Amino acid sequence: MRRVVCLLRQVPFSYRLLGLVSLSFLCLRNVCVDFPIYQGSSRSLKKALLATSTHGNLARDALDRINIRALSDVSIDIVNGDRVGLIGLNGAGKTTLLKVLAGVYEPTQGRFASSGSVSSLLDIQVGLNPDATGRENIILRGMYMGIHPREMRSRATEVAEFTELGHYIDMPVRTYSAGMMIRLAFSISTCIPPDILIMDEWLTAGDAQFLEKAQRRVEDFVRGSSILVLASHSTELVERWCNRGILLHQGRVIITGPIKEVVAAYRRLIGGEAAQAAAQMAAAG
Amino acid sequence: MQPETVFDACTGQIVELTEPPTRIGLAVTDLLEGMRKSWLWTTLAQQDVKLRYRGSILGPFWQTLTTGAMIGGMGVIYSKLFRTELYDYLPMLTVGLIFWTLIAGIVTEGCGTFIAVQGIIQQVKLPFSLHVYRLVYRNLLTLAHNFVIIPIVLLMYPHPIAWLRLIELLPGLVLITITGIWVAILLGMISARFRDVPPIVASIVQVVFFVTPVMWPIQALGSNAWWAQLNPFFAAIDVLRGPLLGQSTAPYSWSILLVATALGCAASFAFFARFRSRIAFWV
Repeated sequence: MRRVVCLLRQVPFSYRLLGLVSLSFLCLRNVCVDFPIYQGSSRSLKKALLATSTHGNLARDALDRINIRALSDVSIDIVNGDRVGLIGLNGAGKTTLLKVLAGVYEPTQGRFASSGSVSSLLDIQVGLNPDATGRENIILRGMYMGIHPREMRSRATEVAEFTELGHYIDMPVRTYSAGMMIRLAFSISTCIPPDILIMDEWLTAGDAQFLEKAQRRVEDFVRGSSILVLASHSTELVERWCNRGILLHQGRVIITGPIKEVVAAYRRLIGGEAAQAAAQMAAAG
Repeated sequence: MQPETVFDACTGQIVELTEPPTRIGLAVTDLLEGMRKSWLWTTLAQQDVKLRYRGSILGPFWQTLTTGAMIGGMGVIYSKLFRTELYDYLPMLTVGLIFWTLIAGIVTEGCGTFIAVQGIIQQVKLPFSLHVYRLVYRNLLTLAHNFVIIPIVLLMYPHPIAWLRLIELLPGLVLITITGIWVAILLGMISARFRDVPPIVASIVQVVFFVTPVMWPIQALGSNAWWAQLNPFFAAIDVLRGPLLGQSTAPYSWSILLVATALGCAASFAFFARFRSRIAFWV
């Protein structure tokens, strides 16, 4: 019989109290994610019902579902203190993988297990009401992160300070520029150090001064045994922020390892693609 | 098959993964987790109501005024049409229409349970049931605002109130709330998958309003009243209207409502357990 050890085993309370152990990890085993792409008639109940009763051609018509395999056979272990950079071309599956890690998508196949509080910065707009002021939005977005308004109110000043938005914090968010929105969203999402921070590439749109400040904050809590997963095109940013890298290509993990090696592999991949494209052009021309 | 293993950072050992929780287990966890976050959905629902009437002086009571005007207008015309006294007709119409607003609200909005919050579903991990509770609670809040009209009408046209029977309202409301939850889950999921469902449901609700004795007295059907009594929508309104107006409820109303709730819960739960993980892909 297979011995099954409880994965999310309770750490002794005294350990937690003393801060001796904080267990956070992300673990993927043979994870596949298939996106059903519904279009036209496959979105229609009427067509689907007709199809089941008539079969034949209609069935094929109504069920014109196309499945896109966004991730295929991904196995990754990410543990305490890892700052992981996800790199890959557009459509390589970076965002899908982030969403699986954030718990938004459940894998279609394979297993996903995680431990630790997750804060995900996938979309800047989530929980932000454009008509409310920055300060009101701190409470609002906090709620979607599972933080009670009472607690958030006590942190609001601290968050407002970190954004360095000055008087703008009391202005409606619709007056904000993209960069200001990023400042606000990042400050809110990291006001309580999460065990696992998941960020999509939009962060890179922030200005250099804020990026530096953000990096210091992230480094601070990654040192306190947390996990960072960051997806980006910018090899420069990833090299600065991360110590491990994962290269995705067409939904598969090509290589994992120290960030330098992975970035080098990514450069080779881009080079290869460019060469291939050039060869095709030459053949066509 | 090779055993699935994971590095345990706590002990530094390689341990095997536990069996994944079953679909039913996950569905139950989802429903309970949503309940545990009650502070979140109550706050969000209150905010929904506030935002809907933002900028108007009356606030949410704007809704009360609309319902009141509708009841006043319909009351005068239809009591003439049905040749009944306003004294009898208006209280019946008021109570019926206010509870119908709740039922119709949950059913039509229920189609958007998940579609309406797709931005959140796609970005943040929250129990799916949370969106359901938020929707049902929001409609109960609207009911509370509309409810103000009932005592006003009952004061204008005083009927003897059977105080003891008002206790019956409680189980009635509980049953309607539970029904609201399963309806919102079921319709919300079907609508997320099949986008032609919301308009279909909207037209059905409209038809049901006219065939259900909401604005016409069931006695008007004479000896044919029995088939209207089998209508579950009537049953739902009847168990609430009866005690408020001190009238007896139709013989099968409670049993019909109970059976409908039980069957609906079973079907809805089965559907939720089977397709819960697909919702994020559907919206």
